[in-house]
Amino acid sequence: AYAPVLRGCHLAIPSHRTAVQAWVESLRHYDDRHVGLADLHPDVFAVMPRVDILHTVAVWQRNYKRISYAKVKTRAEVRGGGKKPWAQKGSGRARHGSIRSPLWRGGGIIHGPRGPTSYYYMLPMKVRVLGLKVALTAKLMQDNLHVVDGLDMPTFDPQYLADLAQYRRWGQSVLIVDVNKMPENITKAAASLKTITLVPALGLNVYSLLKYETLVLTLDTLAFLEEKLLWHDSRYTALYPFHLPYSDFP
Amino acid sequence: MAAASRGGGGGPKALELLRALPRVSLVNLRPNPGAKKSERRRGRGRHGGKKSGRGHKGQRQRGNRPRLGFEGGQTPFYLIIPKYGYNEGHSHRRQYHPLSLQKLQYLIDLGRVDPTQPIDLTQLTNARGVTIQPLKRDYGVQLVEKGADNFSAKVNIEVQMASELAIAAIEKNGGVITTGFYDPRSLEILCKPIPFFLRGQPIPKRMLPPEDLVRYYTDAKNRGYLANPSNIPEARLELAKKYGYVLPDISKDELFQMLSTRKDPRQIFFGLAPGWVVNMSEKKILKPTDERLLRYYSS
Repeated sequence: AYAPVLRGCHLAIPSHRTAVQAWVESLRHYDDRHVGLADLHPDVFAVMPRVDILHTVAVWQRNYKRISYAKVKTRAEVRGGGKKPWAQKGSGRARHGSIRSPLWRGGGIIHGPRGPTSYYYMLPMKVRVLGLKVALTAKLMQDNLHVVDGLDMPTFDPQYLADLAQYRRWGQSVLIVDVNKMPENITKAAASLKTITLVPALGLNVYSLLKYETLVLTLDTLAFLEEKLLWHDSRYTALYPFHLPYSDFP
Repeated sequence: MAAASRGGGGGPKALELLRALPRVSLVNLRPNPGAKKSERRRGRGRHGGKKSGRGHKGQRQRGNRPRLGFEGGQTPFYLIIPKYGYNEGHSHRRQYHPLSLQKLQYLIDLGRVDPTQPIDLTQLTNARGVTIQPLKRDYGVQLVEKGADNFSAKVNIEVQMASELAIAAIEKNGGVITTGFYDPRSLEILCKPIPFFLRGQPIPKRMLPPEDLVRYYTDAKNRGYLANPSNIPEARLELAKKYGYVLPDISKDELFQMLSTRKDPRQIFFGLAPGWVVNMSEKKILKPTDERLLRYYSS
């Protein structure tokens, strides 16, 4: 048969740590589970399992986009209520100044939601990066991470992909990540499947990682993720926004 | 989760624990115990309720207290103390960020600053050794004596102010020090060159120092950039005699050419002259050709 695929770690590993390893699988045959062995960088795939950081980042992802459009009228905005309903003294009833005061039925609301409110806030860049690292570690340590050498499929039949996932006991939902453009077969197969999703590497986020039970990465995605996530460990602080060009680092 | 609440165990043990625990998913997330303390809301329950922290009757409860600083009619503290101009004109005072020789040695040792090239404020900012805020009346960097005993680096450095001992320490190791003035606009361009180049404006010429600083920068003792170059060797000898060290001869040095590069009084960057436009995206430099512009920029 073919020689085993052995992927070493391209970036330097600190001397006190060793790489963690994962089986490299293949999608070409339904039982191609041990095509090779991949070395994964410990500072990305074996960090301290900070579940509280996962919570922080997941909550941030849910809330920073939220704009609540709820708005209620105060007593000044409710239509009417400028005239004193009856004289201050003499009528025997309670004294009132307007029919739209908060005490009245149909009156304004005092401390209600006022106008569109934004719940936008940004977590520090390094916290978000650490969240991704912890999520990848959790997936690897709980046997939910699978590395694939490529996304080449023999057919575009969605049933083949579903049977493969079930045979290899991947889990109920699978997230497949790739850096390069994905081949037609797998895009057609996953398009009709609800539980298996394809995602480009830039769209990887903590919420999706936690939502889907299994994660499938290609070897190129591994290199991409390791490079991007490790860069933040040893970088200078930003003088000006990172989207402007820097000469000494990417 | 359990890994966070245990505390001990370290990295590998925590990962082993994680393997045995149920799958981490959106339903399992919670913050660390003690991280989220709920706020005390007024009017709700025993601790925030009843009088809601307002006290009993009177101006306190009814929200009618007098203004801050009022002392019941007695002339208040803030009126009885006479004014004196301690902070008067503080926003017009020039500030110079201190850079100790110890920090400079630290940067050179770690390789963040290259001693084989002339050291400028741009190099120091890129190495994140100093952070200059031109908008907060920073006029540059001043060299401070701390760490002069252990300083041993031969550098060509350009700062805005330097004390005598710092100049002596640098020249003792065979380096060259100059003091130069940068007006706020040139300083901003010097500290953050790339956002300036992206603006597409021509490099302005550096303005000359104001009256009170002209004296400082024309003095050879301070190694000012406007001083007469022939006075500087005498000043170096004087300092060597004063502090008692042998002045090394830099003209016989291999890096002599690099050590003797100095900037023109109107120049901001080493390789670029005022008036040029730098195009970052196409990596080109455009120079002016009009006679009036050339006359203006070379004056």
